[in-house]
Amino acid sequence: MFDFLTHDMLAVVWFFLWCVIWGVYFIADSFSLGAGLLTPFIAADKVQRIQIQSSVGPFWGGNEVWLILAAGGTFAAFPLVFSKMFTFLYLPMMLLLIGLIARGISVEYLHKDDNPRIQQFLMWGWFAGSLLVSLVLGVAFANFFKGLEIASGGVYKGTLPGLFGPYALISGVLFVLMSVTSGALWINVKTEGAVAAKAGDLAKKSALLVLIFALVYLAYSFAGVEGFATNYSSMPVLYLLPVLAVGGAVLSVFFAKKGRAFPAFCSNLLAFLFIVEGGLASIYPYMLKSSISPEYGIDIFEAASSHMTLSVMLGGALVFVPIVIIYQLWAYTLFREKITETEQVEY
Amino acid sequence: MVELLLLSRLQFAITVAFHFLFVPLTLGLAFLVAVMETVYYKNKDETWRRMADFWGRIFKINFAIGLVTGLAMTFQFGTNWGAYAEFMGDVFGPPLAVEALLAFFLEGTFFGAWIFLDRSRQKLKAFSMWMVALGTNISSLWIITANGFMQNPVGYEMAADGSKVIMTDFLALVTNGYVWYMLVHTLLSAYLLTAFLIMGICAYHFLKRNNSEVFRKSFGIAVVIALVTAVMLPVLGHGYAQYVAELQPAKGAAMDAIWETGTSVPMYLIQAPDSSTGSNSVQLLGIPGLASFLYTGSFSGTITGLNQLAQDELPPVGMVFWSFRLMTILGSLFIIEALLGLYLQKSGKLYTSDKYLKLLMWSIPLPYIAITAGWIVTEVGRQPWIVYGLLKTVNGISSVPVSDVLLSVVLISAFYLVLIVFEIYLIKKTVVNATGVE
Repeated sequence: MFDFLTHDMLAVVWFFLWCVIWGVYFIADSFSLGAGLLTPFIAADKVQRIQIQSSVGPFWGGNEVWLILAAGGTFAAFPLVFSKMFTFLYLPMMLLLIGLIARGISVEYLHKDDNPRIQQFLMWGWFAGSLLVSLVLGVAFANFFKGLEIASGGVYKGTLPGLFGPYALISGVLFVLMSVTSGALWINVKTEGAVAAKAGDLAKKSALLVLIFALVYLAYSFAGVEGFATNYSSMPVLYLLPVLAVGGAVLSVFFAKKGRAFPAFCSNLLAFLFIVEGGLASIYPYMLKSSISPEYGIDIFEAASSHMTLSVMLGGALVFVPIVIIYQLWAYTLFREKITETEQVEY
Repeated sequence: MVELLLLSRLQFAITVAFHFLFVPLTLGLAFLVAVMETVYYKNKDETWRRMADFWGRIFKINFAIGLVTGLAMTFQFGTNWGAYAEFMGDVFGPPLAVEALLAFFLEGTFFGAWIFLDRSRQKLKAFSMWMVALGTNISSLWIITANGFMQNPVGYEMAADGSKVIMTDFLALVTNGYVWYMLVHTLLSAYLLTAFLIMGICAYHFLKRNNSEVFRKSFGIAVVIALVTAVMLPVLGHGYAQYVAELQPAKGAAMDAIWETGTSVPMYLIQAPDSSTGSNSVQLLGIPGLASFLYTGSFSGTITGLNQLAQDELPPVGMVFWSFRLMTILGSLFIIEALLGLYLQKSGKLYTSDKYLKLLMWSIPLPYIAITAGWIVTEVGRQPWIVYGLLKTVNGISSVPVSDVLLSVVLISAFYLVLIVFEIYLIKKTVVNATGVE
């Protein structure tokens, strides 16, 4: 299968797919993470909590699978990167894992018990889990773009505090803000009543913050991160990515101010998608860039699996990714109605 | 190095054992709830709706933890078993990625749909649960395909420098004989566990003299599944034992603590292995030639003993032996309990047989124990290999600071402890509050 493609070409195709999968994950999970970040602050009572929970309930599980696919796809297509990425970032990955478990359990169990204290506890668990996931991923991706401290022979010299530099923190906050905005606009679109109004007001402010942080983050990337602009200089069409990101953020502010939540939501997703893709485009052909010296980094050609594995997987991806996208989109059409103020718990 | 190996293995054991507490019930209940939803759609009989509601509630609670703890499984291949991931990525990665693509998306997407679809869209609701059931069962196929390679490597070649395996034949990977043995065995044990859990919960209500139709009907279905699976497991297990003995002689010999090579090897009903002396400290009531028959298909067959195998490639014999014994003893008990249940139900004495009902209630944990024991036989029996004959476990670990691993083991264990307490609390509450008539 795919014998007309050389091994290097397959590696490039898989890098592209890898970028797509990560991008889809970030936008797909952003609104459920955002809902978790917002619930403690905008849900006045149990009724409103149930509204928010029901607005993301049917979707978060299926959306999170994109993250598993990103991890599994890395494992299959670039095993060396999979192993190094998780080993180098051992503790951050554990934090991410705990965040994901806490988020999942909290959403699912939020109203399974009548005890208000348990509900409070789980609501904050949902918040903490969502915060951990969006923050850790924001920090981790900034470090990928900046380069990890990989010395010769693939020896990792980095430390946990070393991962939290100013660039990483800006990126972390940006990821959290993009999720918050996504969540707020989603709640505004999907629910009715007081909580929808509150979410809509909040989105006006957070969309503006996203725009500001996106500009700061991009300025820092191009001016302050070594090697970030290299691919852009040799292939100027890539500048479209940050331009689209900023454009999305601007539109999101514009539509949010006008109270047009759905276009604002889509614009915010656009911003999120292209922030991520813009960073990933900067590191090619490396997947793990070294901040010490480029030659110590791990590139896609070195890390790629065999021709057979890459092509079997490509066949699988070309058939099944579209099928997955189709039935996931179909699932959204199943739950079109706005969620009214209700005491009825589906979970 | 020793500490790191130990902690990494502890990490793996905790992660997989905890995850696997929730998987079997998910496999079985998804299928049963899908049937209940479908029957209700067809005949609009309220009893079936109530059954789907009640068992569906338990499914929801259980599925949530199965889903999130599965994440930990994926993560740790990189965090704690990085060297293994590099060695095996070419072969192990694809089944895992295909699992996400084919199974997890189905499960994740349609689980949400099933919960939130109301009864006015019953057809779609039932369809969604079938998709979840399909997803969970496909998932087990792919993870066992990956595990099958670790037990019986096929369709690969070693890289020129010996650093990793390279896939040469994807079809061989999928048609690996080991996979199909293990898949059927695993699925049967999952359905058995589900059946015993249902019978146990029904028994609780019968003891409270709540003979609601929901529980009577549920029991009737469960007892048949319990009997069929309980009988099929040892029948299949017999073929499996022969296969394993051929594939992994050390595991086969450890399962029955056979130390010396011989023909017409007897099987002892009472036996206790002692690794330090390389013999059994106790062996009584031997049945001549039975072990030979079980492992080779002939009463005079030859079995290679542990003492004649490479001594540095033996698994911990005691652990494998006792786990195997525990599994088979429990397996026999399951057959008896299921037969008794069927008899009592047919003769109408079930609802007043308090002793039997209590036994059933107390039997709920037993399939969990049997499954864990079976897992120990399979995975510990393969030691010291992580990929049989190709990579030793000691060479599979990530080189990360011991303190990091220790911290993560403590963190994960504490977190899991909270989860399981919460899960049991929720399930217990659901069971106790149910009357079967709402």
